[in-house]
Amino acid sequence: MNTEIVGGPAFAHIHVDLEPGESIIAESDSMASMSADLDMVAKFNGGFFKALFKKFLGGESMFVNVFTNNTKGVRRVTLVQATPGDIGSLELDGSSYCFQPGAYICSTPGVHLGVQWAGFRSLIAREGLFRLKVSGKGTVFFGAYGALKQKEIQGEYIVDTSHLVAYDPGIKLRIQLAGGIFSSLFGGEGLVTRLEGTGSVVIQTRSLSGLVGWLNPKLR
Amino acid sequence: MNVEIVCGPGNAAAQVMLGPGEDCTAEAGAMIAMSADMDVQTTTHKKGGGGLLRAAKRLLAGESFFLNHYTASSAGGHLWLATTLPGDMAAIDLGPESLIVQSGSFVACEPGVDIDMGWQGFKSFLSGESVFWLNMKGPGKVVLSSFGAIYPIDVDGEYIIDTGHIVAFNETLDFKISKAGKSWLSSILGGEGFVCKFHGQGTVWCQSHNATGFGRTLGPMLRPRS
Repeated sequence: MNTEIVGGPAFAHIHVDLEPGESIIAESDSMASMSADLDMVAKFNGGFFKALFKKFLGGESMFVNVFTNNTKGVRRVTLVQATPGDIGSLELDGSSYCFQPGAYICSTPGVHLGVQWAGFRSLIAREGLFRLKVSGKGTVFFGAYGALKQKEIQGEYIVDTSHLVAYDPGIKLRIQLAGGIFSSLFGGEGLVTRLEGTGSVVIQTRSLSGLVGWLNPKLR
Repeated sequence: MNVEIVCGPGNAAAQVMLGPGEDCTAEAGAMIAMSADMDVQTTTHKKGGGGLLRAAKRLLAGESFFLNHYTASSAGGHLWLATTLPGDMAAIDLGPESLIVQSGSFVACEPGVDIDMGWQGFKSFLSGESVFWLNMKGPGKVVLSSFGAIYPIDVDGEYIIDTGHIVAFNETLDFKISKAGKSWLSSILGGEGFVCKFHGQGTVWCQSHNATGFGRTLGPMLRPRS
C-alpha cells in the first residue's frame, strides 16, 4: 500500500494506492473518488452494539466502508474529511492512541477502533463524553479543521479547549480556568485543558467551534 | 495569454500575463488586481457583442450575467483573478474540443473559447452538482476554481467520483449515476449513496472537498436566523 497526503494544510486529502488483495477501512462518506473496479462494502463499526455506541456516544458513524482491491493491478481510492483542514497519520505498533470525536478518517485492517469513556470533564471541555481509542498494528489517518502540530509533552501542558485532536492514552485531561478569575474571563481563553503525563499530543491551529463562534453573531 | 496558479490549494489565485493587445474574458467580480492601463469592457457574451439568451443561460448555470473582457495595452499587462471562497484553481489548455464544467467553477478563458450552457440529462439532479453545466469549446485556455483542492484523474475505462466532487471533464467522457461497490445496500449504509460512474477516455478534474459537505457539518452549529 502506498499512501500520500496532498493538498494540506488547507484542503488535505489522501491518495491510497492499494496493491492486489489489500484493503483499507474508511469512515462513512469519506470517499471522493475511486477506481470503478475496487470493491466497497459497508460494515458495522465493530459489531452492531459497538457501532450503535460509537454513533450515539463517540460521535463517529455507525458504518465504516471497506475498500478492497480484488483486481490484479494497483488501484487508487481518494479519501477526505468533510471539513477543510489538515490530515495526519500515525503508525501503531501494538500501541494505542486517543482521538477526539470526528477526527478518524481511515486505517489499515490491523487497527482496532474502540470507544472509551472520557468523563464529564471532557464534556465541559467541549471534547465530548467519549473518546475514540485506536489500537493494534497498522496506520491510521486522522484530520481536523485547522493545521496539525504534534508536540511531545512531559509533565504538564495546557491546550485551549476544542484545539486538542489526539493524545497518548496515558495522558490525563483536566479542565481548568486559563489563569486567575480575571484573566480567564477577560483574556478570551476561558477554560483550557490541562494535560498531565508523558507522550505526544496533536493540536489543531484552528477550531470549528471558533469559526462558529465568530460566524454566529454575524448571522441576522 | 499565460496563466500561473499561485497560493493553492488554500487560497489560490490566477496570475494572467497578457501580451500586447491580448484579451482575456473573466467572470464578473473575479478580478482582484490588474495593470492600470488595462481596458475593460463588460458585455453579456463575446467582446463587442451581446447575446441576452447566452447570458440568461449562463445565469441558469450558476455564473454571472455579465462577463468582463480585459484587453492589455500595447505594452502588455497582467491581471490577478480569484474567487470568494477559499479553494484551488486550475488552468486547462483546450484543443478544438469541449470541456464540461460544473456550475459556478468558471473563472476566465481566452477569447477563442466559446461558453454555452450544457445539459447532461436528468442524471444531473442526482449528481450533487447543478442541473445545468457549462459547455466550453476550445481552442484556448480556461481557468476554473473549486472549494477544495483540484486533482486530475485520467480515465481509461471506468472511474467513480462521489457526487459533488466533479469540477470538469472532457467531452469524450460520459457518466451515469450508480452505486459505489457492488451493492446498493453498502453504498447507502456506507454513506456514499449515489456516485457518478464515468466511462470513456479522457480527464476528470475532481475537487477534494465540496462546499455542500462542509455546510452540512457547519450548518447545525449555526444559530437559526431570526
